[in-house]
Amino acid sequence: MKKSKWLWWGLLSTLLVLSGVLAQQTASLLFVSTQFTPIEEAQRMRQVILKDFQGRVEFIPEDNAPFTNRILSEVRAGRVNVGLAGGLHGDFPPLVAAGALDPVDDVMAQLKDRRFSQTFVNLGKMGTGNQLYIPWMQATYIMVANRQALQYLPAGANVNTLTYTQLKEWAANIQRATGRRMLGFPAGPRGLMHRFTQGYLYPSYTKSAVTKFRSDEAESMWLEFKSLWQHVNPQSTSYDFMQEPLLAGEVWIAWDHIARLRDALNQKPGDFVAFPAPIGPYGRGFMPVLAGLAIPKGSPNRAAAVAAIEYLTRPEVQITTLVQNGFFPVIQVRLPDNLPQGIRMGADAIARQAQSNVALPSLLPVGLGARGGEYNKVFQDTFARIVLRNEDVRRVLDSEAGNLRRIMNETRAPCWSPDPASSGACPVN
Amino acid sequence: MNLRWLYLFLAVVLVLWVLIPIFLIATLAFSDRPSVFAWPKGLLPQQFSLETISFFFGVEGVWKAIRNSLTVAAMTLVFSVLLGAPAGYALARYPFAGADAYRLLILMTRAFPLAILAIPLAVQFIQVGIYDTAFGVALVHTALALPFAVLVTSSLFLGIPKELEEAAWTLGCNRIQAFLRVVLPLALPGLAATAIFAFVISWNEVFAATLLTLRERTLPAFLLTSLNDSPLPFRFAGGFFLIVPALIFIFIIRRYLFTLWGIANR
Repeated sequence: MKKSKWLWWGLLSTLLVLSGVLAQQTASLLFVSTQFTPIEEAQRMRQVILKDFQGRVEFIPEDNAPFTNRILSEVRAGRVNVGLAGGLHGDFPPLVAAGALDPVDDVMAQLKDRRFSQTFVNLGKMGTGNQLYIPWMQATYIMVANRQALQYLPAGANVNTLTYTQLKEWAANIQRATGRRMLGFPAGPRGLMHRFTQGYLYPSYTKSAVTKFRSDEAESMWLEFKSLWQHVNPQSTSYDFMQEPLLAGEVWIAWDHIARLRDALNQKPGDFVAFPAPIGPYGRGFMPVLAGLAIPKGSPNRAAAVAAIEYLTRPEVQITTLVQNGFFPVIQVRLPDNLPQGIRMGADAIARQAQSNVALPSLLPVGLGARGGEYNKVFQDTFARIVLRNEDVRRVLDSEAGNLRRIMNETRAPCWSPDPASSGACPVN
Repeated sequence: MNLRWLYLFLAVVLVLWVLIPIFLIATLAFSDRPSVFAWPKGLLPQQFSLETISFFFGVEGVWKAIRNSLTVAAMTLVFSVLLGAPAGYALARYPFAGADAYRLLILMTRAFPLAILAIPLAVQFIQVGIYDTAFGVALVHTALALPFAVLVTSSLFLGIPKELEEAAWTLGCNRIQAFLRVVLPLALPGLAATAIFAFVISWNEVFAATLLTLRERTLPAFLLTSLNDSPLPFRFAGGFFLIVPALIFIFIIRRYLFTLWGIANR
């Protein structure tokens, strides 16, 4: 009977461990976030950014699917553990649709001396009458090039006022000289290529992303981009973060989210230059990224959550967030002169991108609700079908316009900048 | 003779198939950053460095996550053998109406996409009070491991001649004694394999573990999201960090299971 004795011991010890796990209850603030998932950033968030916060915070980064599912399940079950939720503007719509967020108008009133950007405050209302999240931090997408590539710039071109045509010539010059395709885009499975088409390419060429989706201008834009793609590194379809191919020297010119270029700028500031996105016929389209802080309905520790929001939006903490993790302040604050060189380069490029007279900022869609993912998919599919699968441009635009129109009509989302304002659902002409 | 060579060749291919990725991950985990980014990457370790790998030991909560992973995997192992082996025995020895349908139904649990269940499952777990506990995750992992446990053990018991059991009965054993003294010892190597398999299924599972835990994360749930978005050096070091505890544990448990069940010479 020796065997069964062993089994019983095994079972008993498991139960002991189990009871130990059950008994362990802590009363700290649970801060779940879709931002700062890379392990070093999470670590810096815990050890540096949150260091001076009075009170215990457990910072748990996770992907947006479990993030959404968890908060929805907890609110539905009526027993909420998550005290504070941090995410991108686009992470909140499903929570708003399910009524899972506690309005934070009172918190906004407390923070009225913080000088938040008014655009961001309005975005935080998610198209409702209440403040649903407090702006937390912002970022955008820029370009980075290896200094070795600068000698191949077309005559008379300047990286800070580069046009899409010059970008193509530049990449072609490099290919002619080195025999390699050195322009890169993050078109991998987790890459943000759809943001490039939505917020950069379309606005620059059509001053629109929705209404002129299948216009003649869009058609010639795609044809031009397709010819640019001949000079793009074919590995691009596997790139998620452009800092890696830049550091490895596989790519010399790249477009990506500033946080996904940071390692290149920080590790070898002398090797790279950062500059704004290219200019098209209508100007320089670009897209800001906004993250916010929200409190789930029934949060177990609302006071602690409010205190954490107050802490994270302090000017000095906003600057620490920039220095540590590369996201920019959402409040008006003067950046210190002693920023690390890599961050300074990024900040300069962002300022040039936003402040030039050709700036054409795209807002984030407000009214798409939970359908933001489908909106992105239209742009992902259009790109893949035209550029990667070589399908006929006109046919693809017509068929994808149908999908886009369906999303717009079903959500009744009005147009957002740079599309001209609409009274009803944003039309796809 | 020829067959023997073919056998050896296949064995070598299989071993390399398993070991080469582990070897590459290990060398790059112990290289410094520039050599991880270098292309083409060398087959042998380039610049030895403990920088990235040592980072993981300092990450807050990583030890707790390892402990949770081991707890969950051990519970899954125990539950799935305790539940799976009797079910397998019943399938093998007692012809009952709907046995074939039952066999299929068990497999259906694997065919059912867990993602659809995500929210209802989490809501139930919260209401029952086993959300964010190792026990709760172990229950889901047991459900995932059971189909294998049942089907493997049933073919295991089928392979043991019924005559042996009958002989034991004629010699004075009752059914339970005959099972414990005759069938079980013969089935042990297979049971040990089933147990290790259940362990591995639990160790590798991320989806349920991520969804159902917050503070009590298992190691894959704790690290995997982070690694997906981390720079290359961390992915190699993290991969290595994820593999090693499982390997160590399997080596220990393998020996433990075999000696426990009296098959020391294997």
